[in-house]
Amino acid sequence: MWDTIIIAPMTNLLLLIYDLLGHGPHMFGLAIILFTVLIKLITWPLNASQVKGAQAMQELQNDKEWQDIQKKYAKDKEKIAQEQMRIYKERGINPFASCLPTLVQFPIIIGLYQSITHALSVTPFDMLKLARTIYPFQNVEGIIPLNSTFLWMDLGRPESIPLLGFALPTLAIIVALTTYVQSKLTMPTSSNPNDQTAQMTKMMSIYMPIMLGWFALNFASGIAVYFIISNLLGIVQYAATGRANWSNLLPGRNKQQQISRKK
Amino acid sequence: MNKKRLILISLLVLVSLILSACTGQIPSNNWQGLAADAERAYISNGAFVYAVDLKTGNEVWHYPPEADSKLMFHATPLITSDGQLLIGSAGTKHPFVSLNSATGKENWAESFTENKGAWLASPLVYNDKIYAPNTDGFLYIIGLDGKKAGDPIELGGALWSAPATDGSLLYVTSLDHHLHVIDPVDGTTSDPIDLGGAAPSSPVVGSDGVYVGSFASTIEFIKPNGLHEVIAKTENWIWGSPVLDGETLYYADLDGKIYSLDLASRSQNWDTVQPDGSIVASLLVVGDQIYVATEAGTLVALDSEGKAVWENPKTVGAKIYTTPVVSGDLILVAPYQADFVLAAYDAAGRQAWTFTPEK
Repeated sequence: MWDTIIIAPMTNLLLLIYDLLGHGPHMFGLAIILFTVLIKLITWPLNASQVKGAQAMQELQNDKEWQDIQKKYAKDKEKIAQEQMRIYKERGINPFASCLPTLVQFPIIIGLYQSITHALSVTPFDMLKLARTIYPFQNVEGIIPLNSTFLWMDLGRPESIPLLGFALPTLAIIVALTTYVQSKLTMPTSSNPNDQTAQMTKMMSIYMPIMLGWFALNFASGIAVYFIISNLLGIVQYAATGRANWSNLLPGRNKQQQISRKK
Repeated sequence: MNKKRLILISLLVLVSLILSACTGQIPSNNWQGLAADAERAYISNGAFVYAVDLKTGNEVWHYPPEADSKLMFHATPLITSDGQLLIGSAGTKHPFVSLNSATGKENWAESFTENKGAWLASPLVYNDKIYAPNTDGFLYIIGLDGKKAGDPIELGGALWSAPATDGSLLYVTSLDHHLHVIDPVDGTTSDPIDLGGAAPSSPVVGSDGVYVGSFASTIEFIKPNGLHEVIAKTENWIWGSPVLDGETLYYADLDGKIYSLDLASRSQNWDTVQPDGSIVASLLVVGDQIYVATEAGTLVALDSEGKAVWENPKTVGAKIYTTPVVSGDLILVAPYQADFVLAAYDAAGRQAWTFTPEK
């Protein structure tokens, strides 16, 4: 089921793009980049709702009714939660709209990783699985095995650059940084330390860079290329709305904002 | 910790586990390699290489003595005339190992590849030198004492199959779609022969040239002067090596069709023989019988006219990708991820024994 719905279409799409690009060195990396752009286009409405949801949440933090509720029920968390839910409902805001698209990415990430592994086929068993995955209309005999070279990387293996006797995981660092930047830009600031939604979003902005960086560190570098391009496109999409909160990127900035709001 | 936070962390951990569990960064998952001499069968079964007594089906030894997560063995072991068993690792560490085939004791273990490429191919011993193909695209030349015996020859593409020789030249197939021809005297290579598709299995050498099957779904015939031509086509990829028996060439494809080509007339000896399931393993010809192992998990015996010899095909209960091996009266079959790793049948199709490693 998973193979039929996720792996086979992804693998065939990757192979098709790779073939159209001329299937030479570096072309599988380009195929992954084009594939990522395509995925971003398909999930555009979902990402747009993420942007919209994040903006609505940010605006809500400065709303008078919202702030009054925080003050009025400061000692009653349950009541605050009830009132927050009422406002969400009244104004048509989905508090999870900003993190849902990130979670939706997981099947794509897992599928893409398996597709890359499939497509690169480092063992006969992998190659046999690939043979079973290819759609009948694809004529891939001429392009298999794929050339996994992209810039300085082997896309089928974790990436690192030797530096002063150490293996520097460049892509993993870039993945963690771009994930951090993306999540910080879209993260709503909250003046209320008890705001559970804001806490969750804040946690996501810490866990996600660590987790995706860890994936990039340990798994095929092809998946890291996907993360980076996907993050960059996400940042561009958000910045294009003109509402990106670049000051969020500075550590401690939120606390300063909260203090100044209280004053 | 509140409920939402707990759910979020649990979700992240779950996704991490799923991604870690369903994938792997090392080339460690593959079917077994199988070989035999007059006394023992040798099977590379991932973490261990086993020697199995052919009379009893009991384990004689296994290597390494304790499992090492960095070592994985999938290549077909090669038994040399001086009693060495040669095999390389395809795990995260890639030593090439020589064992005493009688005792399983390690003669030597060396890493010739700077740990870059995995050993999936069986080597060839020619003129007291080991020619070992690697997935890094190099053919390594090693002395029988484990010392480097020449500079590695760069061929290109991953090398998954054992070289073949006609007594003067070496022939190596590659996933780079070529057959590489090497003069072992000086290590020079001729212009590689374009096969039109990746070649995962060994070529077969005949008296008048070399035959190779490939993912181009063709059998290519290469003459000693380098001229080559397609002499047969199939409807799907050819995975296993063709087998030459006199003037007949036997081969099979992933559709599960078995072919018998008369080399003199270039015509097929039978119409359609398709037992069941894809055929990845090479065919095994013993006397006037052809043994076929299929992905559907059956072992079929055919006569030279393509008719089934046994009343019922032997079902082993798991997929078979490893080429069956004959030793004495026994046909040895290694099913993939079955309850047992090795089964022995006699020529009449009766199961003699099965071997399951101790846990």
